[in-house]
Amino acid sequence: MTLAARVRDRAERMPDRVAMREKDFGIWQEVTWAQYWEHAQDFAHALLALGIQPGDRVAIQSENRREWLYTDVGTVAARATTVGLYPTNPPSEVGYLLSHSGARVLVAEDQEQVDKALAVLDRCPGLEWIVYIEPRGIRYRYDNERLIWWDDLIEQGRKHRGDYPEAVAERMAAAQADDIMTLIYTSGTTGPPKGAMLSVSNVEFAIRTVVDGGGFASPAPNPDDVMLSYLPLCHVAERIFTTWFNAGAGTQVNFAESIATVQENLREIQPTILFGVPRIWEKILAGVQIKLASASWLKRVNTRLWLGVAERVGAALVRTGGNHTLGTRLAYAIGWVFFYRALRERIGMRRVRFAASGAAPIAPEVLRFFMGIGVPMHELYGMTENSAVATGNRPGRVKLGTVGEPQVGIELRIDPDTGEIQTRHDGTFVGYFRDPPATAAAMTSDGWLKTGDIGEWVDGTHVKITDRAKDIIITAGGKNIAPSEIENALKASPFIKEAIVIGDRRPFVSALVGIELDTVGEWAQRRRIAYTTYRDLSEKPDVKALVQSIVDKVNERLAPVEQIKKFRMLPKELDHEDGELTATQKVKRSAIAKLFADQVEEMYG
Amino acid sequence: MRGRPLLYTSYRADMALLNTPAKRVSLGLLVLLGLALPFLLQDSTLNLLAMGCVAAIGAIGLGLVTGYAGQVSLGHAFFFGIGAYTSALVSGETGVRTMGLGVPNLLVWLPAAGLVALLFGVLVAPLATRLRGLYLAIVTLGLVFIGQHVFGEWGSLTGGTGVGRAPARLELFGYDVAATDSMGTREQKSFWLMFSLLIVFALAARNLARSKVGRAFTAIRDRDIAAGVIGVNLSRYKTIAFAVSSFYAGCAGALLYPLVGFIEPGTFSLLLSVQYIAMVLIGGAGTISGAIAGAFFITLLPSLTRGLQPLVPFISTSPTELPNIFQVETILYGVLVIGFLIFEPRGLFGIWIRVRTYWKTWPFSY
Repeated sequence: MTLAARVRDRAERMPDRVAMREKDFGIWQEVTWAQYWEHAQDFAHALLALGIQPGDRVAIQSENRREWLYTDVGTVAARATTVGLYPTNPPSEVGYLLSHSGARVLVAEDQEQVDKALAVLDRCPGLEWIVYIEPRGIRYRYDNERLIWWDDLIEQGRKHRGDYPEAVAERMAAAQADDIMTLIYTSGTTGPPKGAMLSVSNVEFAIRTVVDGGGFASPAPNPDDVMLSYLPLCHVAERIFTTWFNAGAGTQVNFAESIATVQENLREIQPTILFGVPRIWEKILAGVQIKLASASWLKRVNTRLWLGVAERVGAALVRTGGNHTLGTRLAYAIGWVFFYRALRERIGMRRVRFAASGAAPIAPEVLRFFMGIGVPMHELYGMTENSAVATGNRPGRVKLGTVGEPQVGIELRIDPDTGEIQTRHDGTFVGYFRDPPATAAAMTSDGWLKTGDIGEWVDGTHVKITDRAKDIIITAGGKNIAPSEIENALKASPFIKEAIVIGDRRPFVSALVGIELDTVGEWAQRRRIAYTTYRDLSEKPDVKALVQSIVDKVNERLAPVEQIKKFRMLPKELDHEDGELTATQKVKRSAIAKLFADQVEEMYG
Repeated sequence: MRGRPLLYTSYRADMALLNTPAKRVSLGLLVLLGLALPFLLQDSTLNLLAMGCVAAIGAIGLGLVTGYAGQVSLGHAFFFGIGAYTSALVSGETGVRTMGLGVPNLLVWLPAAGLVALLFGVLVAPLATRLRGLYLAIVTLGLVFIGQHVFGEWGSLTGGTGVGRAPARLELFGYDVAATDSMGTREQKSFWLMFSLLIVFALAARNLARSKVGRAFTAIRDRDIAAGVIGVNLSRYKTIAFAVSSFYAGCAGALLYPLVGFIEPGTFSLLLSVQYIAMVLIGGAGTISGAIAGAFFITLLPSLTRGLQPLVPFISTSPTELPNIFQVETILYGVLVIGFLIFEPRGLFGIWIRVRTYWKTWPFSY
């Protein structure tokens, strides 16, 4: 059953229940399942009217919004392939992705995205239509025969639907299990992005395992569950939690206004299942700590008391795998009245019954904080190439520092020679689009997917990931060091946003550190340290001393060879546009090493 | 969705009169407490509280024009007087000295008093739409003097200075509220009446404040030029503000004197206007609850100072000696207004807001 068929069935079974909400002019506008399916059908008909054939690619570059889902489901209904582009992709990457995928239609959110596409139009001969959703600044102003307004396109679709009412239904009936449903371009920390092809059966397997099977939220999600959709939908994780959860289990999707308003939207929506990448959890934690620090006297005393209790509760939960004991339950119940209830309400997690972190490694301290204040936190692991089906922590069997147990019904092994984690199941991707050599390199001859992550078994049941294979540092002394663990320990501090550990073929380990402007700025203000820019603040001796103290604290827990002997401050905030981060905000090590070579050489000079 | 107070899926819910469960519950409890008060308090206290209710209606009216729409009006006493005399005229019988129409039903004379005052408000409004700030204050001040002169001279209506006339009678379809019977004493029944009327007037004002009209008022208050630019019809909304405010003042004027028992033309002086300004400022400009709080505060202040008088025996209770308690009261008004404007510009309501914010932001401070 395709995603489109699932949405159709839901529209028939529960037409008037809310499928999604989006905030428009201060009001959360609701879309029912019946309306959802209407829109998706209109879009599918519009695609047919444009002459889209099975297997053609339809690209979308937009923030999360209703039209994203209409496009996705409509495209699947027309048996075409959805290609998601990050809204932050700069024009050069847009050009690469559009030309590489050979998309015939691009749905661009607004003028910003249309401009990017128009700038690289000559590199994308296959691109026939650019559909813009927000007409502001484009309509009646831009003169390009490939441009078409979303509403006009939908109108075309309705007309087509009037003429051939069964056309989409016929397409859907002809759908095959090996139709390529979506191309997900992996962010590519090393080379250009690669387009992983996921077929209808891949997605079906993923929905069966991580949605129905409770792999990503246990007990399994249901139509009463409320989600907040705020991470880029072109990433496999958000696609699962938004589109697949929604179509597969009927959860209610709420689109955040933007990444900047996530905290506010969380408070309004109070989701029941919440997925976040480490950066989000770190940022929420930093925000909480800084706000608590600047609270009035009585509130600070209260906070210190209950955070202390939370730490003990969290530590106890870590020991028991997430199961409450009588003592922790009692302590938590009293704390609920004085602190935890209000705190969770404020950060929008009052009703969270399953919180998950994934897509990158996270420091255990961060997870422990959330477990302590009563947010049931679970670390998950998966990657685009295996439809994100690999491992996950289960409620009551949480092991902090691990990514959990293999999902039910899959095969997972750790290669005894290299320590690499490998998976084999029906969710394993079809291959990289137009890149057979890379596909061959990612698979073993007997059908195991090579994840590229180095891991080990913990107690024989849980998997612990050491690092990405290609990130492992071998110092001049020949010691293997996993940088992400050190980096995450640093990033667990509210003051540190970025940390890049360096030491490959070097005599000692060093680091480049980027401060969190909000929290350090607030910290500086309280100390009456005047500053102008990010760079100015970074270079203040007091700030360096602050970072030094954090580094020292982290060093205490590290083996001597792993300790950070020197560090330098990053002179700017890392940015996707400048090529320092990937679209998913992961650091591109090679680019950093080149861009900040001066600082690095200074340390070893 | 249940249990998510910040999630609004319609503007109707967003703008609801009582948009949170806490407000609904606390209003319900307040109303219950109010209805129970006559069984708990002395009749003299009840009379004072009934006056507080009426003063609150007047203060809400001034709050609408001054607090919400930002038009300083010192002419409240004038509209007050118009309401008082209209009601007396409609309700009273033609006697030896004064005339009357002989319709004692409250449901007739109360709206009549409000509407006549409203009419005068509309007449004054064209001035207000052309003037701002101090100039408007002076013009409305002029109204008070015109009013005092007319009330003083028009003997057949007001009885004349120093003589006065009987106020309207609290009568509902022939049932005399102001007479002790099996239902309760005169004070108990008039408190219930005034309290119910206060609820009606307060809810109506709050409803107005949350509507398009109310938003236009605040826009004009914050910056009239900007309000005009965004499409608020200034003369129209200033007129509405004065009209509604005068209506409230008229009703309050009509209701207050049956409790006092007597209308003396000299009472509608600048002092009365200033008293109402004090209620609005001390309570908190720009809020309905603030106006109510301020009205009760100012109404209860004299009995409070009199209760504290034994503690400072050198202050006399006799108006002929110096220093006396009445002077202290007047000084206290001034001190309170100055104090509030300097230290708590948002009034009593501001204090409440601060307390509420403290708990609302728990465990943070912002």
